[in-house]
Amino acid sequence: EPGKQKMIRRLARILLCAGCCLAAPLLVAEEPGCLDCHEADDGSSVHTVFNTAHGNLAGGGAAACTSCHGPSEAHDRRGRRNQPDVSFGPKWVSPLEQRNGACQSCHENGAQMLWAGSEHEQENLACADCHQSHQLRDPALDQSTAQAQCTDCHAQVKAQLHLPSRHPIAEGKTACTDCHNPHGSASDASLHQVTLNENCYSCHQEKRGPLLWEHEPVTEDCALCHKPHGSVHGGLLTARGPALCQQCHSAAFHPSVPYGAEGLPSAGGNQNLLGKNCLNCHSQVHGSNHPSGARLTR
Amino acid sequence: QTEEASASAAAHYVPLLINTRAVDTRWQGDYAGNLQLGLGYTADDNFMFGQYNGLYEQGTTVIGNLRWQDFSDGNSYWRASVDNLGLDTREGEIAWGRSDKLRLSFGFDSQVQVSNNSGRTPFRGNDSPLGLPENWVAGSTTGDFSQLDASLHRFDQELERDKLTAALAIKLNDQWHFDSSLSYEERQGTSVTAGAMYVDASSGDATLLPMPVDYRTTEFDVGVTYSSGKLNLQGRLDYSDFDNKDSILIWENPYRSRYPDSTGGLGLAPDNDQLQGRITGQYIISPTARLQFDGSYAVANQDQKYLDYSLNPAASISEPLPRDAFDGEAQTGTLNGKLWLRPLKKLDLELFYKARERDYDNPRDGYRYLRGDGSRQPDPALTVYNTSHHVVSQTMGVEGTYRMPLRSRLQVEYAYELVERENTAVEETEEDRITVGYRIQPISNFTARLELLYGNRRADTYNWDQRYYALLDVELINATPDSQRFINHPELSQYYMANRDQEQGKLDLTWLPADNWSLNFNLLARNDDYDKTYTGLRYSYWERYHASASYSPSASFSASIYGGYDRFESEQMGRSFRGGAEKNAFEIYPPLPQASDPDRDWRMDTTDTSLTVGANLLWSITKTIEVEADYSFVDTQSKQDFRSYGAADVSPQNLPSVNTTLHHFQTSGTWHMREDLSLRLDYQYYRYRADDWALQGVRADTIDKVLTLGASNPNEQIHYVGVSAVYRWE
Repeated sequence: EPGKQKMIRRLARILLCAGCCLAAPLLVAEEPGCLDCHEADDGSSVHTVFNTAHGNLAGGGAAACTSCHGPSEAHDRRGRRNQPDVSFGPKWVSPLEQRNGACQSCHENGAQMLWAGSEHEQENLACADCHQSHQLRDPALDQSTAQAQCTDCHAQVKAQLHLPSRHPIAEGKTACTDCHNPHGSASDASLHQVTLNENCYSCHQEKRGPLLWEHEPVTEDCALCHKPHGSVHGGLLTARGPALCQQCHSAAFHPSVPYGAEGLPSAGGNQNLLGKNCLNCHSQVHGSNHPSGARLTR
Repeated sequence: QTEEASASAAAHYVPLLINTRAVDTRWQGDYAGNLQLGLGYTADDNFMFGQYNGLYEQGTTVIGNLRWQDFSDGNSYWRASVDNLGLDTREGEIAWGRSDKLRLSFGFDSQVQVSNNSGRTPFRGNDSPLGLPENWVAGSTTGDFSQLDASLHRFDQELERDKLTAALAIKLNDQWHFDSSLSYEERQGTSVTAGAMYVDASSGDATLLPMPVDYRTTEFDVGVTYSSGKLNLQGRLDYSDFDNKDSILIWENPYRSRYPDSTGGLGLAPDNDQLQGRITGQYIISPTARLQFDGSYAVANQDQKYLDYSLNPAASISEPLPRDAFDGEAQTGTLNGKLWLRPLKKLDLELFYKARERDYDNPRDGYRYLRGDGSRQPDPALTVYNTSHHVVSQTMGVEGTYRMPLRSRLQVEYAYELVERENTAVEETEEDRITVGYRIQPISNFTARLELLYGNRRADTYNWDQRYYALLDVELINATPDSQRFINHPELSQYYMANRDQEQGKLDLTWLPADNWSLNFNLLARNDDYDKTYTGLRYSYWERYHASASYSPSASFSASIYGGYDRFESEQMGRSFRGGAEKNAFEIYPPLPQASDPDRDWRMDTTDTSLTVGANLLWSITKTIEVEADYSFVDTQSKQDFRSYGAADVSPQNLPSVNTTLHHFQTSGTWHMREDLSLRLDYQYYRYRADDWALQGVRADTIDKVLTLGASNPNEQIHYVGVSAVYRWE
C-alpha cells in the first residue's frame, strides 16, 4: 500500500509538472512579459504609449505592445539578445515590410488606402519615419510641428514658405496635409482633392461659381496665375500686373500698351500701372455675376 | 544567385532622412496634460509680422495653451487642446473615443489675415453703401477732390475666419467603417476691391474701395469605407453651401464726370452650393497586379437673383434683363486610375489615366449691359452673350521602374495629354511628356537622384477671334465700331494653350558623412520655350539651388542650416495698337496700320530672384534647461526691363527693381524648475522692408482717374516678448 501511494503521489507530481509546463506558454500568451523588464521608471519612452490611443490596443497593457511588435517570444525569453518580432529601432530594425505591415494591419483605409504605389512608398519610407506612436502628441499629426516634419526633407519648399506672399503655413494655420496626402492619392502631387482647383475651392468657395461671366483660366487651373507655396509677388501671383494680364490679353488700346517707368508718380502716375493696375477697373478677375459685368469690372 | 543578390540589394535601399528635431520624452511624454499661461507683448502695430499669427497690434496679449489627454480608462479616452487662447488665431478641439471603435470630436478654429492697413479712404461706413462726407467736392479727376485730405481716414484690412467643426468616425466591424463631419465657417471683415464707372475703356473713373466681407459656409460630408483583403473602397458624399450676406457693394461716385449724385454697384460673390459624390478604391488582382481608382462627380449650382443692369435711377434702361436669375450649373467629373503590374521581379509597370471635365451647362442669353453705372444702355447691336467654357482634359501614360545593382533604380515615364476647350482661341492642345529618372545609393550613406523631363505641347490652329465671336453675333460684329473692339491681337498666343517645348532637370544629392550629420543639395532647372509665339509669353526659365545641413549628435541637441536661391526669368512680347484688327468673321479686311506695324512691338524681360537663408538650433543645455532658436533671412528682387522696336510713341522705360528684405529671429528658453512646473521665455525680432513702386510715392490722388488708398510700403521692426508658465500633471 505505501508503495502504491508513493507511486500515485509521484504520478500526481509528474502530471502537475507536465500540466504546468503545458500551461505556461498559454499563460505567457495571455500576458506577455514586456512590462516586467520595460518598467515605467526606466527613463525610456516605452510607457508613454499608454497615454496614447495605441496604449489601449487589444485591451491595453502588454497586449498592446505585442499588437504592434508581434508575440516576440524569443525577445521575451532573452530580451537583450533577441529582438522583438517587429522592431522599429534604434537598436534593432525589422525589414520595412514588417514595420509598415504592423501599422497597416489597422491603418489600411481612408487616407492610407492608396499608400501602395505612392511617392513615399516608392521611396521606401517607413510609417515610423514620420510618425512617433510612443509620443503623447505625434509630431506628424500636430499642426504646429507637422510642417517642420515635411520640410525637413522637402527643404526647398521651406524656402518658398518664407516668401513675402504665402499661405499661413509657418503659423500652423494651414498644414501641408490640408492640401497633400502624404500617404498617396490618385491625383497629381498627392492632392487630397481630385484636382488642384477642387483643392483651392475647399477654402475659397466664393470662387467656385458657376458665374455668368467666367474668366476661363480660373475655371481651368488656379496655378496658371498663382503659386500655392509662396511668391515674391502679392496674392501668390506668378508675375505682377499688368505684365501678368498682358501675357494673355493684347486687345486694342490699353491692354496692348507697355507700361514702364514713365507711368510712375514722378511722371504723372499711370492708372494701368499703379494701385491695383488692371484690377483698378477689372476688379472681378475671378469672374462676375453682375448682368453688366461682361468685362469683369462689375 | 546574382539576380537574387541584386534584388536583395535593391530592396535594401533606405531613404536618408533628415530629422532636425530633438525628441524630448522627459517633458513632453511623461505627462497627461499641460497648461501654459502667460503674457506676451508686441512692441508696435504691424501687418506683415502679424499677418497670420494674431500679433498685429501693439500691446499685451494673453498666452494660453492647453494639452490634455486621458487614456487611463482602457475602454475610452479623452483628448483636448487649445492653442493661442488670447489671440484671434485661437483654436481647439475636444475628442472622445472608444479604443479604435469610435471617435467623436468638436473643434473650433479662428484665423485672421491682416493686410496692408496703411492706406486711407474718404468713404464712410463699414457696410454697403459706402458714402462720402457731406461736404465732399466732386471733380473730373482726383486732383479736383478739394476735400480729399480732410476726408481720409484709416480702416482695418482684416479678415477673420471662425470655424466650428464636429466629426464622427465609427468602426462598424472589421470591414465597414463610417465617418462624417459637419462644419460651419464665417468669414468676416474688410478687404479691398476697386470699382469703376465709365463709358468706354479710355474714360474709366476708378476708386479703390473698402469691401465688407460677410461669408458663411456650411459643409457636410459622409463616407463609408469597405475593406477586405483584396478590395478597399470608399464612397463619399460632400455638400458645401456658400452664402454671401452681401450681393452688391454700392459706393457713392466721387467723380463729377457722370450723372450728379450717381452711385456705382459692384456685384459680389454670389451664393452657391456644390454636391459631390466620390468613390476611391483599390483592388488587388494578384500579388503582381493592382488597380487603383478615384472618381468624382460634382454639381455646383448658382441661382442668385440678378442685380439690375444699373442701380442708378438716372441710367436709361430700355430693354430688361433676359432672365431673373442665372440658374447656373457647372458639372465637374473626374477620373484618376492606375493599374500597377510587376511582370518581372525587378520591373514595375504602371499604366495611368486621368481625366477632368467641367461642363458649363447654362442658358445662353444676350445682355445689353451698361459698362458703367454712369452710362446708358447701349444699342441692341452691342448685346453680349454669356459663353460656355466647357473644358475636358485627359492624360494617359505608362511608367516603368527597373531596379538595378547598387540600390539603383531607373524610371521612365511617358504621358500624353489632350485638352479640349470650347470658345477659346485654341480648341485643342496635345502634349507628349517623357520623364527619365535615376536614383542610386552606391554606399549606404549617400543617395543621388536625377530626373530629366522633356515635354512637347502642340496647339491646333490659333483662332484668335474665337473668344470674341463667342461673345457676340455676326450682325453685331459688323455693327461694332472698330474702336470698340476688345479682341486679342492675331499674333498673340495665350501661353497656357500655346505651343511649348519644356525641358526640366532635377538633381538631388544627400550625404550622411557621419552618424550625426546630414547634407543635402538640390538643383532644379526648367526651360519653357513657347516656340511658335510671336506676342505673349515667349519664354520662361526657372532655376533653383538649395542646400541644407543638419547636425544632431544626441537627442538633446540638433542644429541645422539651409540656404536657397531661386531665379525666374521670362520674356514676353506685345504690340501697342489702337483700333480693331478684323471686321467680319467671314471676310478678311486689311488690318489697321498700327495692328500690323512691327515697329510698335515691345518686349519685357522679367527677372525675379529670391535668396533664403535660415538656421535652427534645439539644445537641452541641462536636464532642466532647454533653448530653441530660429533665424530666417529672405531677400527678393523683381526686375522688369523693356525693349522697343522703333515707334516713337512706344518707348517704355525700365521699371525700378522691387526689393523686399526680411530678418526674422525667434528664440525661446524653458526652465523646468519643478517636476510639474516650467517657466518659458519667448522673444522674436522681425524686420521687413519693401520698396514696391506700385505704392512708392503714390498718394490717394496721384493718379488722375484712380482714387487709391495712398498706402505705403511696409517697413516694420517688431520686437515681441512672452513670459509664461507651464503646469503639467500626470
